[in-house]
Amino acid sequence: MSTIPLATESTSPLEPNDQDRTSPRPRKRNLLLQIKDHWADYMYIMPALLVMVLVIGYPLFYTVYLSFFDTPPSTGGRVFNGIDNFTTILQSERFWMITKNTFYWTVFSTLIAFILGFGAALVIQREFFGRSIARGILLIPWVISYVAAAYVWRWIYHSDYGLLGGMLMEWGITDQRLILLDSTRWVMPSLIVANVWKEFPFVMIMLLAGLQTVPDQLMRAARVDGANSWNQFVHVTVPHLKNVIVITLLLLFVTNLNSFGLVWIMTGGGPANASQLWIIEIYTLAFRSLRFGLASAFSVILFIFMLGIGFFYVKALTAGDNERGRA
Amino acid sequence: MSDSTVPAPRKRWRPGMRKDQIAGYVFLIFLLLYALIPMAWMLSTSFKTQFAALQQPPRWIPTHPTIAQYKLLLSPFNDVGRDFLRYLLNSLWVSTATTVLGVAVAVPAAYAFSRFRFPGRNALFFTVLVRNMFPLVVFLIPLFILMKNLHLVNTHWSLILTYLTFGLPLSIWLLKGFYDNIPPQLEQAARIDGATRFQAFWLIVMPLSSPGIIATAIYAFIQAWNEYVYALTFLNNNKLLTLPVGLQRFFAEYSTNWPGLMAASFIMSVPVVVLFLLLQKHFVRALTEGAVKT
Repeated sequence: MSTIPLATESTSPLEPNDQDRTSPRPRKRNLLLQIKDHWADYMYIMPALLVMVLVIGYPLFYTVYLSFFDTPPSTGGRVFNGIDNFTTILQSERFWMITKNTFYWTVFSTLIAFILGFGAALVIQREFFGRSIARGILLIPWVISYVAAAYVWRWIYHSDYGLLGGMLMEWGITDQRLILLDSTRWVMPSLIVANVWKEFPFVMIMLLAGLQTVPDQLMRAARVDGANSWNQFVHVTVPHLKNVIVITLLLLFVTNLNSFGLVWIMTGGGPANASQLWIIEIYTLAFRSLRFGLASAFSVILFIFMLGIGFFYVKALTAGDNERGRA
Repeated sequence: MSDSTVPAPRKRWRPGMRKDQIAGYVFLIFLLLYALIPMAWMLSTSFKTQFAALQQPPRWIPTHPTIAQYKLLLSPFNDVGRDFLRYLLNSLWVSTATTVLGVAVAVPAAYAFSRFRFPGRNALFFTVLVRNMFPLVVFLIPLFILMKNLHLVNTHWSLILTYLTFGLPLSIWLLKGFYDNIPPQLEQAARIDGATRFQAFWLIVMPLSSPGIIATAIYAFIQAWNEYVYALTFLNNNKLLTLPVGLQRFFAEYSTNWPGLMAASFIMSVPVVVLFLLLQKHFVRALTEGAVKT
């Protein structure tokens, strides 16, 4: 019944559970024979497998391959140049500046969206009048396109005619033009506010789904034991939701690391590269400067970083199953 | 532990509870404003004239509301409207094809992962999940080259194929949760009555898992409808553009026409917002039963 059967299923060759160790497993005999017995099963996954090999598997290997070549845009050819692309990138000051921006963007977007989204889930989870309408409204930002979101926020932030600047002036908070997206200091916080707006509903919906799995008895038992709502939250809710929390955080982190549309449309990485991110750099290198080799090497660096995070993701996914297996 | 102090915390707990209820409502109002203001401002601007949109201080209710921008965008009798309606149709076609094909591919795969115990099952399912981790833009360069070699650049099929594949991991994951909850005995009973394995699947399991399929389909549709980077890269023929890229094209040409841009953004948001609001219950349920079940 488990959703993620990596470890609880007895067929897992990696982590046989205790029952398996007591009874010898006859199924290891002949892999080919087994595959032959199950050939019809594979027909069900074949279409999914085929498109994934074509659209995900092949490009992955091709990126790695291309990252070892120089691809001068003038000739269109390619010359093997070993790890030159990588050393060029890692030795450039620009790379480290962009890395700093990327982390600033990713970490703050993730944390703020998570806190707001978790809060939203806790509030929305209670019964109150108009609850489903409130939930619907809160989900709207998540559903609309990043492109529409980017234009609305750009319009709100507009330094001459924007809503934000105009309101602040009308309320007498400032009497100067509010310059956000054109200021190297304020561009990142402004982008993060727009991005969090787009993302917090995702956290809300994931945790809302998670909260529904917290058994009522647990909460009641905690209350009988004299726990106030903060204690309940810390000692019952959070431990119960640990897996959902970790998965949501990781997915958010990865989404932000790969976020392109919002920043590309709102600032294009400017002003003066103040909002230049890895993803935007890769895109510009490949499709503006047409330096595919260099851009591929950059992708590989990002990819290796992702693998590290992916490791934690899988650990988080399987951790729940191990605990369940033991319980 | 301390049973002698049971009444005391009860007393402290009640007023504490009320306080965080108030805090909760304040927080909720803040969130609602945060979520709504940009959308409301989008709508408000879209009913203004170009001149009124540039007025300071900003006005929420336009003094002379006009639907001129909507007329312009949705009328096939002028250049702007013709382009916009074409983008709309392109988006509709790409999203629908992605959704239908995506579900057709994901359903049997999810079913197999849920029911059958074939060698390599865990390894394959694992691969499907790990895909969630990989940045889409990393695939941009090689996919562009692949599509060029397959002569699919500047066709909608390049997008459909890409969106459908990128949506698969989540679809399979969600659907598998649903199939896990349908007792296999139902199919076994059908098999005893003489149904083939496929018939048992098609006639018994499919109808029961329709909420999951609906949730998966909405998600696939919304993703395809909103996608921007791949559409930007794979298409450069104005006739083929989807809405997000078309909107950007519109902005490049009429960069001071904010009411027009906001009206276009609003029209673009309506289908997905309506679709999602109508079916959000299915979606939350699919997540509860599939993705986050603990």
